[in-house]
Amino acid sequence: MNTLTPLAQDYLSRFDTAIGSLPGHQSSLVTTARQTARDIFARQDFPNKRVEEWRFTNLASLTKGIGDDIAEVPSASASIETPHVMTFVNGRFDAGKSSLDGLPDGIRLTSLAAELDAGNDSLINNSADHRAVVALNTAFMEDGYVLDVAANITLDQPLRVRFVSASGSVQNARHMRNIIRLGDGSSLTLLEEHTAEDGHSYFANPMTDITLEDGANFRHYKLQDENLVAYHLANTDCLLKDNATYENFSLAVGAKLSRNELTTTIVGAGATSILNGAYLMRGQQHSDTTTVTNHLVPENDSRQVYKGVLDDDSRGVFQGKIHIAENAQQVSGDQLSKALLLSDRATMACKPELQIYADDVKCSHGATSGELDEDALFYLQSRGIDAVTARKMLIEAFLADAMDEISDEAVKVYFSGIATAWLQKA
Amino acid sequence: MLEIKDLHATVGGKEILKGITLTINAGEIHAVMGPNGAGKSTLSYVLAGRSGYEVTSGSVTYKGEDLLALSPDERACKGIFLAFQYPVEIPGVASATFMKTAYNARQKYRGEQEVDAMEFLKLVRVKTKELGIKDEMLKRAVNVGFSGGEKKRNEVLQMALLEPDLMLLDETDSGLDIDALKIAADGINRLRSPERAGLIITHYQRLLDYIIPDFVHVLADGRIVKSGDKSLALELEEKGYAEMSAA
Repeated sequence: MNTLTPLAQDYLSRFDTAIGSLPGHQSSLVTTARQTARDIFARQDFPNKRVEEWRFTNLASLTKGIGDDIAEVPSASASIETPHVMTFVNGRFDAGKSSLDGLPDGIRLTSLAAELDAGNDSLINNSADHRAVVALNTAFMEDGYVLDVAANITLDQPLRVRFVSASGSVQNARHMRNIIRLGDGSSLTLLEEHTAEDGHSYFANPMTDITLEDGANFRHYKLQDENLVAYHLANTDCLLKDNATYENFSLAVGAKLSRNELTTTIVGAGATSILNGAYLMRGQQHSDTTTVTNHLVPENDSRQVYKGVLDDDSRGVFQGKIHIAENAQQVSGDQLSKALLLSDRATMACKPELQIYADDVKCSHGATSGELDEDALFYLQSRGIDAVTARKMLIEAFLADAMDEISDEAVKVYFSGIATAWLQKA
Repeated sequence: MLEIKDLHATVGGKEILKGITLTINAGEIHAVMGPNGAGKSTLSYVLAGRSGYEVTSGSVTYKGEDLLALSPDERACKGIFLAFQYPVEIPGVASATFMKTAYNARQKYRGEQEVDAMEFLKLVRVKTKELGIKDEMLKRAVNVGFSGGEKKRNEVLQMALLEPDLMLLDETDSGLDIDALKIAADGINRLRSPERAGLIITHYQRLLDYIIPDFVHVLADGRIVKSGDKSLALELEEKGYAEMSAA
């Protein structure tokens, strides 16, 4: 038997002590869930490159133990005003930095730790998830947000949840578990931000579990702006029932190594899953976007557009699987991945995967990676626009058709501002 | 204004221009005609500063300055404008944004006041009206989905807006029907002045019916083989390039 990685050994050796103080330790249901997950993780360890789904993302620099590298602390490049903010500092809810007063009736936004300690243990479903990173999250989950929305509630302004890394101890880990449920016909926007006010390395491991009831419409925007020595391995699962719409846009500019894994499972007719995103990487950064879209019943749609801009020695990964079950007729699934390589040394790995078992479906996928268009660059320059500005214009244009998919105007402006600021640093 | 002396240039290691000498004074319009492959477009690209076009010997002086030492954007800011044979499509960049950025780049370079979106719109509307261009085009991405005629008209619009001192027109007539050609020629003629000069590159004589050149040069195999006034263009049309080049 192979020896476990140092980081896995470290987790497992701490588990028995930790479990007594983690939230929900009074509940046998939660404790059993943690123990089951611990065993799953212990059998697998962190995924290595022999695991097919992780072929392009090597966790070795994480699993040998986070080093004591210190990154420059990025300053906020853009801002957004929202009436409601929930803030987690180093993985724990910080009431002082949150403003949750005045939420409309029918919307509950609370801390998972508080819910579990109050005995609300039914939030945790005890299905033994086979994914090692998710199992690690379940074993060690310490806090997160719980968003519960009753039926037929509409909130126009986005709710905002911030995860801030603010203290400097090596081996920081944040196993956040977020649980979202939107009732029938409800419509809501949530902006989730992962940022750092400190330069030490840490491991962020957020797991988000979403259920959209019939006709619910959820716009879920995520900013990953961790510091440049951090690790970020995120999983988001979304279950869509009849006529539900899930719109996700993920903007990634931060972290040394990040993976954004999204799994949507459509079990309703008329449902729509929209996964879009952009990642902007430079230096030695590594960004992995992995999506799995499961169409389990007939008559529903999914679509995806991901755009990556890769400079210096950065690496991008896109893996997109569309699974259409045997009886899932009249389904459409579209997927597009485009990467722009700004340097000869930047690399992109792309793996589209279609598993189609039904015969009356419409599916497409496209993947390109290339350099800036020299003809376009010369055209702009020939009109007096300098090379640096011309490059920025073309990169922004490249990102535009993904950014334009963000249906919330304020978030679109905010994310565009962050992308523009990223380009200015070039 | 422009003095080209014994200009040699290669593309991908192959010599295309083999010693061109040409002087263009302010107020003059010169036409360079020639068969395909003579080096007409190469000449326009070398003057505009496109990368991949390497000057191996000779010189180009523009307003007393070494043109070849300037980047393409500096050349543009100093008043050179190349109207492309094949205007480039740029998805995701709105025409208005593109033109405003170009306009302000030149203003900034010359130490003049930059304009805001409203002022720019006023400026550009005057020009679109003159050229019979619908304002709706400004909202569309640069040249994307434009017909051949619209693309060429868009080139003339940009030129009208940037008011260059030296206009380089590369096969501006290609792909235009006669009505579009008249509108484009009209826009170009409007820019003619004693302070401005132009170099028209064309395969056919047709455009020269509408933009009357002061001088006509025949380019063949990278060299100017014959020069004359506008009657040379008519002679060419009659006899064809083969005979003229052999002469």
